[in-house]
This record gives sequence, C-alpha cells and structure tokens, in this order.
Amino acid sequence: MRIPRSTRIVLAALATSIGAIAPVAAQESVKIGVLTIRSGPASPVGDDLVAGIETAARMYGPVLGRPIELVIEDSLWNPQQAVSKATKLVQQNKVAAILGTSTIETLALSPMADRLNVPIITSNSGGSAITRQNCSKWIFRTNPDDHMSLAALKHLIDQNPKLKNAKWFVMGHDYPYARIVTGSVKGVAGANYVGETYAPMDTTDWAPFIARARASGATAVMMAVTLGTPFLQFAQQAHDFGLMKDVAFVAPLGLPDWLVAKLGPLSTNIISAGSWGAWRYEDQEPVTKAFNEQFHKMHGRVAGMQSVQVGSAAMMLFTAITKAGSTEPAAVVRALETVDVRTPIGPLKFQPGGRQALSPLFLGPYEEVKPPKYGAQYAQRVVEAFPAAKSLPESAEQTGCKLAK
Amino acid sequence: MDLFLVSLLNGVLYGAFLLLTSLGVSLVFGLGRVVNFAHGALFALGGYALVAVMKAAGAPFWVALIVGPLLVVPVAIVIERATIYPIRHRPEIYTLLVTFGLTFILVGGIEMIWGSGTTLVTSPTALSGSVNILGAPYPIYRLFAAGVSLLVSAGVFAFILLTPIGLQIRAVTDDAEMAEALGVKTRWLLTMVFGAAAGLAGFAGALGAPIFAVNPEMGSGILIDSFLAVILGGLGNLPGSALGALVVALTKSVGGSFIAEWSIALLFLVVALALIFRPTGLFGRGRVA
Repeated sequence: MRIPRSTRIVLAALATSIGAIAPVAAQESVKIGVLTIRSGPASPVGDDLVAGIETAARMYGPVLGRPIELVIEDSLWNPQQAVSKATKLVQQNKVAAILGTSTIETLALSPMADRLNVPIITSNSGGSAITRQNCSKWIFRTNPDDHMSLAALKHLIDQNPKLKNAKWFVMGHDYPYARIVTGSVKGVAGANYVGETYAPMDTTDWAPFIARARASGATAVMMAVTLGTPFLQFAQQAHDFGLMKDVAFVAPLGLPDWLVAKLGPLSTNIISAGSWGAWRYEDQEPVTKAFNEQFHKMHGRVAGMQSVQVGSAAMMLFTAITKAGSTEPAAVVRALETVDVRTPIGPLKFQPGGRQALSPLFLGPYEEVKPPKYGAQYAQRVVEAFPAAKSLPESAEQTGCKLAK
Repeated sequence: MDLFLVSLLNGVLYGAFLLLTSLGVSLVFGLGRVVNFAHGALFALGGYALVAVMKAAGAPFWVALIVGPLLVVPVAIVIERATIYPIRHRPEIYTLLVTFGLTFILVGGIEMIWGSGTTLVTSPTALSGSVNILGAPYPIYRLFAAGVSLLVSAGVFAFILLTPIGLQIRAVTDDAEMAEALGVKTRWLLTMVFGAAAGLAGFAGALGAPIFAVNPEMGSGILIDSFLAVILGGLGNLPGSALGALVVALTKSVGGSFIAEWSIALLFLVVALALIFRPTGLFGRGRVA
C-alpha cells in the first residue's frame, strides 16, 4: 500500500513529537514543596531544614521511579507570606506535599489546609494544638509537640538528683512558651521553685534579668529564651556574670547544632531537657549514621537537630507516596496514617487516629566531641531516648484530636 | 536591697555606653535637623568592622577597636554627601525617610558581605573574668566599656566646648542661618559632624561587641534607646542627652530587675510624662521638632 506523502509527513511529525515527549514523561519529577525561612537572622534554621530534606531525598532516591524535585520558597517566617507561598506551591508548582514548616507557617496554613488539599508534614512546630485540639486531616507532625517536650523535662528533673534538689528559676522571653515552661517546672513534684523573669522580646542587655536570677538564690536556670541571636547574647552574658559557673542551665527544647557551634565551650554548661533530634543517636541507630554521613558528604557540616528531624519527615513522606502508588493527595494521607519507617530519629509512625508522630526526645548534656566529627567540636551526648509512649497519650482522641472518619 | 544596688550599677554602666550613641544622634540633629535612623546600622557596622580587622588583618582587639570605627567614618561621609547633602534644605521628613531607607541598605549590605548570622566576640584576656561587687561577680569588661565610654564622651564635650570647630558647631546648633551669615560653612560642618557621629556609633558598636554579640540587627535596640535618651534630654541638647541616657538606662535596668514584663511600658511612660511636662527636654533647652 502506498502511503500518500502528506500522510507520511504527518506520521513522521507525530512520531517525532511522541519521541520528544516520551522521555519527558518518564522523567517527570515528584515535586515536593519546601516552605521555610530563607533570609534574615533566623535563616540558619531554614538552611538546616532544606539541607535535611535534600539529604533524605538523596538517600531515598527516586519515588515511584521518578526523581524528587524540591521547590523551595521563603516564608520569611511571616504568616501572610507563608499562605501566599503555599498557595503558589500548590496551584502553580503542583507540589505533592509541603515540608519544612515551623510553627508560624503551620499555624498560618492550618485554617486553609482543606483548600490547599495536599499533605503538610511539619517537623519544626512546637505548638501542641496543631495536632491536638486543632488537628487537621492534612497536617502531620514528626517533631514532638510542646507537651511532649515538657513531659521529657519533668522526667529529666525527676531522674537527676542535682536538678531535683535544685532551686529552680525560669529565665525566658516574654512570650507564651516561657510561661508553659514555667508551669511545667512548677508541676514537678517536690521541685523547689524560686522565681521567674520574662524579658521583653527585643532584650539585648540581660544584666537586669541575670541579677534577678542571682538574687533569687537559684541553682538551676531553665532557659526559655528564643533560639538564635538572643540565646547567644544571653548565654555569653550569663557566662560573663559568672552565672554559668555557679548554676545548672537547662535548655527545654535542645539546641540546634549551628548554635552549639557558635556557643563553643559555653555549650558544655547546658543540659538539654529533650531535643527533637540528635546526630549522636547514630551510636544506637544505623539510619541516623547513614543520614549523618550523607549529610556531611553533601553539605560539609554536621546534621543539626532540625536537619535530622526534617530528614525523618521527608523519609516518611517518600515512603507514603511509594506505598500509595501515586501522588494523589488523599491516597498519600491514607498511606501516611499507616507507614512505619526507620528514620534518623529511630523507627517512626503516626499516632493511631491522629497526626502526631510517636517521636522520641533525646536527653543529655552538651560536651566536647573528641576528636571532632562531621566538623562538630561540641554536641549533645544522648544519654537517654525518651519514648513517645511516656510523653503522649495512647489515643489521639485523648489529646483532643477528633478527625472526621 | 542588693538587687536594687546591682540594678543601679547595671543602669549606670549601660547609661555610660548609651551616652556614646546618644551623643551622635543629638549632634547630627542639633546641627542639621537630621533625624538619623541609620545611626543603629552604623553602630552595627562598627561591630563588623572590628571583627573584620581582627580576622582579616589578624589584628589584636585593641588595634581593631581603634581601626574598625575609623573605617566607618569615610563610609558615613560618602553616605551623607550622596544622600543627605542634596536634600539638606528640604523639610526634615525627607532626611528622616532617607536615613530610614539607609538603615535597610546598610543592614542588607552587612548581610550580603558577612551573612546574617551572629558572631560572638570574646573580650581580651586582660579584661576577661570578673570582680566581686556587692557580693556577686561582675564582668570586668563591662566596667572597662563604661569607663571608656565616659572618657570618650567627656572628650566630645571638651571638643565642643573648647575648640573653634566646637564653637562653630554650637553656633550652627543655636541658629544655622545666623552662623552661615557669619561665615560658618554649615554644609561642610554637617558632613564632618555626620562622619564623626558615625565614628562614635561605630566605636560604640566595636566596644559593645563582646557584650552584645555582633549581628546585623544589633543596632536596632540601641537606636531606640538613643532616640529616647535624646528626646528626654531635649533634641539637640548634649548635656540633656547625657542625662536622658542615664534615665533611660536606669529605668530599663531597675524595671528589668523588678517588673520585667512591664519594663518597656515603664520606659515609655517615663518618656511620655517627660514630653508632657518637659517638652523641651529635662534641661528645658532642647527643640520641639
């Protein structure tokens, strides 16, 4: 049969275009949105979060046979910006899920999660309500919430005779979390509580507040000071005033490793009441070790607390997409509810019927690392991993989370 | 009682330091009616200049403390010539807005060059450690910083009161038109004073680096305190600024020790009352601008 020339041209053109499209379709990536802070004084937090997700993506490899593509947006840690960027990620970039959010972004996205219609897995949000009374079908959390952290704090005080018998003083910024910490310290049976002070948020000179702590006769200070520059200023000044020599300092949420690096020897005066992630958990968990090595290879530094935590969130997401067999949002959510994954913070799954991961907390002091490892000279030693079973009620309903069936 | 005395000491020492930054704000306003919002960013630039000289040139702290702030002066002179000089005779709101914008440019520039992180600067070995005052350790470096601040401030006062250029500065501050008519080169004078004020801010930033840590935003808090001190003392009134700095520092210190959550409210209450009852400043000789 003779095919007319015009038909041959059309067929050839079709074949060419199919040939051109086919490899693109095969290579179509799985897009994951990353919404975090990328500028300003808090940008090291965003750096650690992005680096952790990149590391997990490299470790996990292709998802559904497709490469993972991260679409990163700067939230400026501003609620309006977070909403605008999340909308852009979903509507314009067509991401399958959003990672990397901290409390500010998560709280901003919470009321519009149904409209965004993609899973959001936060790994850096303390606010308990996010996965308790205000829980949403779409928002999951891998880091321990504030109530879990405070349970670890109570445990730390109970277990340590020096802390148990100490005269406690809370030194914090004038914001709600500091008062929650105060309530927790006061709630420890038998703890001798001698006072508290809440400095204005823009405090740079901590002398008046240090004087107050000293005058109270405190022998242990709980530092509910925001992490970053204010914490560095406070720690340096507390050291200059000799307070760190005389008093035990406890950080309720642990310290990011970039902050530990800046504190240097000062960090050895601090005990963590329960950090969200600790790279030195690698002594007990092979996945943590693999993650640390990959992280160091890719980024040339140690994996910080937020990197380890977000890496765990990313691994749970990638596993869920694989289990769902697609990036269809509802299917991924269903898969997330049941995945059980070995992550850099240990085996992890979500609370049945809820959205909070059964995450451990890591207790222990900061110390010099001899010899330095992954570039870290100081780091938290994990004395104990405090399991979620001790910090979280068995069922989600007991925490106030009631999801529609 | 001890806490009260320690709070007074903290306040006096912070006041001495605040005096250094307030003088620059007051001088520039008095001379050119320029509300210099960029003063805080120049303070931060001084801190970064200190660190840069120490790291890049390997200079000891003492050398960097002198050289660093001097590097801020030409930067400020260029800024003044390029941005404030051309709009000098426009209403004060113009220069206010320009210096407000300059703050963002300077802080943005700092972040571009040195990053947005915080650098801890350790005090020199000779001044590290503490002495026992009122039964508690007190950092030697804070005492040193306050002493140096007072000395430099005294030098500024002496310069203004005892030198021919100081006489010209006082003349322009009192009546710029009359001074100009009498041959004082007011434009040149403001450029020089702007540079000198920036040098003072830079020196304060460098001196304060071991206390407050170096970061791009380190000038914002001190800027607000400086403005409050200048407003309390009377705009453009140098002795008033000195007293204002002491009042601001003592209010913050005593308030911080005894009513921490209300200390900022207390500070603004004091300033509000002063504005109501002494609108021309504590000495009654400042301007109502």
